[in-house]
Amino acid sequence: MLTYILKRLLIAVPLIFGVLTLTFFIIRLAPGDPAAFFIQPGVSPNVAEQIRAQYGLNDPIPVQYFKWLASVLQGDFGRSFSRAQQPVLEVISEALPITVTIAGLTLIANFTFGILIGIVSAVRQNSFLDRFLTVTALFFYSMPEFWFALMMIILFALKLSLFPASGLNEIGAESYGPVGFVLDRLWHLALPVTVLSINGAAGIARYVRGSMLEVIRQDYIRTARAKGLPEKVVIFKHALRNALLPVVTLMGSSLPFIFSGALFIEVIFAFPGMGRVTVEAIFARDYPLIIANTFISGSLIVLGNLAADVLYAVVDPRIKL
Amino acid sequence: MKARVDRDVQGLRAPARIVLTLLLALLVLAVSACGRKGGGSSRNAAVMDSTLVIAMLGDADYLNPVLASTVTSGNIIGLIYPSLLQSEFDTQTGLMNYMALEKKLRPVTPGQGKKAPDAAIARSWSMAPDHKSITYTLRKDAFWSDGKPIVSGDFKFSYELYGNPVIASARQQYLSELVGADKGKVDFSKAIETPDDTTLIFRFYKPVPEHLALFHTSLTPLPKHLWKDVKPEDFRHSPLNLEPVGAGPYTMKSWQKQQEIVLASNRKSNLPKPGTIASIAFKVVPDYTVRLTQLQTGAADVVENIKPEDFTALLKANPQIDVKTVGLRVYDYVGWSNIDHEAYSRSGVIKPHPLFGSAKVRLALTHAIDRESIIDGYLKEYGVVCNTDISPSLKWAYNPKITSHGYDPEQATALLKAEGWLPGPDGILQKNGRKFSFVLYTNAGNARRNYASVIIQQNLRAIGIECKLDVQESNVFFENLQSRKLDAWMAGWSIGLEIDPLDVWGSDLKKSRFNFTGYRNPRIDRICELAKQKMEATGARAYWQEYQDIIHRDQPVTFLYWIKETHGFNKRIEGAELNISGTFYNVDDWRLRPSANIAR
Repeated sequence: MLTYILKRLLIAVPLIFGVLTLTFFIIRLAPGDPAAFFIQPGVSPNVAEQIRAQYGLNDPIPVQYFKWLASVLQGDFGRSFSRAQQPVLEVISEALPITVTIAGLTLIANFTFGILIGIVSAVRQNSFLDRFLTVTALFFYSMPEFWFALMMIILFALKLSLFPASGLNEIGAESYGPVGFVLDRLWHLALPVTVLSINGAAGIARYVRGSMLEVIRQDYIRTARAKGLPEKVVIFKHALRNALLPVVTLMGSSLPFIFSGALFIEVIFAFPGMGRVTVEAIFARDYPLIIANTFISGSLIVLGNLAADVLYAVVDPRIKL
Repeated sequence: MKARVDRDVQGLRAPARIVLTLLLALLVLAVSACGRKGGGSSRNAAVMDSTLVIAMLGDADYLNPVLASTVTSGNIIGLIYPSLLQSEFDTQTGLMNYMALEKKLRPVTPGQGKKAPDAAIARSWSMAPDHKSITYTLRKDAFWSDGKPIVSGDFKFSYELYGNPVIASARQQYLSELVGADKGKVDFSKAIETPDDTTLIFRFYKPVPEHLALFHTSLTPLPKHLWKDVKPEDFRHSPLNLEPVGAGPYTMKSWQKQQEIVLASNRKSNLPKPGTIASIAFKVVPDYTVRLTQLQTGAADVVENIKPEDFTALLKANPQIDVKTVGLRVYDYVGWSNIDHEAYSRSGVIKPHPLFGSAKVRLALTHAIDRESIIDGYLKEYGVVCNTDISPSLKWAYNPKITSHGYDPEQATALLKAEGWLPGPDGILQKNGRKFSFVLYTNAGNARRNYASVIIQQNLRAIGIECKLDVQESNVFFENLQSRKLDAWMAGWSIGLEIDPLDVWGSDLKKSRFNFTGYRNPRIDRICELAKQKMEATGARAYWQEYQDIIHRDQPVTFLYWIKETHGFNKRIEGAELNISGTFYNVDDWRLRPSANIAR
């Protein structure tokens, strides 16, 4: 298995590198220009030119590419164009913890509730409860997140004023002490995490229900029941473990989400996370930041897939890598 | 066997335990939320009464006056840094007034000049009789917040930064009259002199009107003693950018990027005085609906640019909110390519556009568009029909005799008929086999322009013109505009308070970067030239009146409407005066009514 992992990692290097190279050229092909902001009446026409010179955008594209390559190989992704020349890795290191917190909490809630609802629906197939859960899950699954988020804000922030509408902390939260600060943070995270996890859990529940139903019909489940094992043992020990195999793949593919962020939620709740960084970078044509973000999400997709494959082999002894 | 079953039962309990833990966590959260709501408000009352919260769309880029390029940054810099002069827009005359401690450019008209000029560092100035130099005398009691005196050398040093091409300041244009600028490079040794700490002399290569000289020489200074060792190539990423040292009514307390900037009243300030409100928090809230919600719940006190369609609901939901308006600086227009831009970009040949090349056709299009109904349907009392790009707010220059080209489809049809555009078999106008059909482009994400474009499409359809709509991503749209690739588009301008329209209408299409229509009229070029030579702004009045007549006649674009900018304020703010030069023009004088009074 170790050789397999090493092999996959080695293949990943040229793959990610190829993705970065493609990104490098594609964003330069996109219309618009990082200095476009400075082309406006009242601003000297020289400014855009000087800014371009500062960013090194006046060189021919192949020259830009090799310069970029040289610095990336030294681990330097450059400085952001749109964020006051902050080094891009610094921009990302500020945004990442916020995104990871939200996504981490969301994933835990997603899988916990998703799996539980899935099991209940499968075991009580076609009961009222199953239909109710299925309809509810589909209802939430098909609801656009941004709209759902706004509705939650209107209900919980505006009408009931139980939770804040946006931000990570109250103004002056530093004075609450460490426990108060964390509680304040959690209080601010309650709405966004709920929105994200209701939506995600609904999807996972559908998966689990499907695969659970398939497993329950298998012969070994009948055998387990015939042995006289209690139903709960049959469901949780014999059926669930097998039914969770496809869910493991889901976990692997959730890895990029943890780091790339949930754009709509970040915009609506005013969290300065990775999703916002990426999209704002794209609109501002902030090339170094776009590439660094592509690097992060690209690597994570590759790693996530690898992790899913490896986990698969770990949980299912039938699969050999 | 029994032990095994027990273990299984325990294993089975694990998920149940997780659920229980989660439920408990949720409960704790809910309780803490309720606790915060009840107990929190009393704990926060003191904070609330001393903190003004302004929700804004995006973060400041730089809190460095040389580099800042956004309005948000400008607002905050205005509170932190000192300024040479105090400027104020006189709403009676529409002229900018500049004030030093002991001198004013113009007498203050009654009801204006609500701010004392105590913020100015200049005590007085004198303009040379030949208008080629201006000499300031500075006050001696002005200090940076680190205690060092503010001297003339700080200004000279800062102007060298503004003019440094490596730093690429967006305000280089302000230096364009200084000695040497005509030869491509300002000669700072001659252009700015500082014989002593309180004397500051600017020299120009040509005579400059006094108001323009004051405007262009009063850029915000940086403290030389802190910045002098920073190399120009490191200027943009110097750590000093994150710790601005100023002298104004506020100092920066904290700056969490993309989250909030908190300012605290500068107790030591005498420029003009410490800010009345103890602390001001600028919070970044990117989503418009959420900013609106925050205004409604009281989490934010000021939200700029509220859309007219939201007023009714907002005021009904929270009577503590007040909508204040300011304007008119912003207008929308439909641009028609006056020249055949394809021929121009192919071979540099200038010939009229096949559809919009004739002033009569453009006039017909203006008559065909029901601007009043766009205003009634969307902007309501916050919109005014626009005739030219000189704002009615610039009263000294505005030509009130111009009567709008009203909505008149018959007149439009007649004009088009006279130009040879006749209905074809499908009802669409035709001329020499060419249909009157085009695409109207606009940028994505602007509800107002979307609304207007649909009405325009219907209006034009009614007189037999086929207008297709297309929405482009802003970067793409802007680039297409600049390279003159569009036949027709809808966009807007925010005008400067000094009139200088040559960039937009100048005949030299290479130099006039914003002449997207390709409109050319030598008289307009001449008028702009003559107006600039007048040493007193009001002296150019006759030229600007003629200018408006010409633009109104030629209709290079169809001007749609002026927009009153509308900002939401919590009523606990007292003393807020809005000025066309900025929403936060006297924020240091604002007061917050204590929350106890609001409850009553």
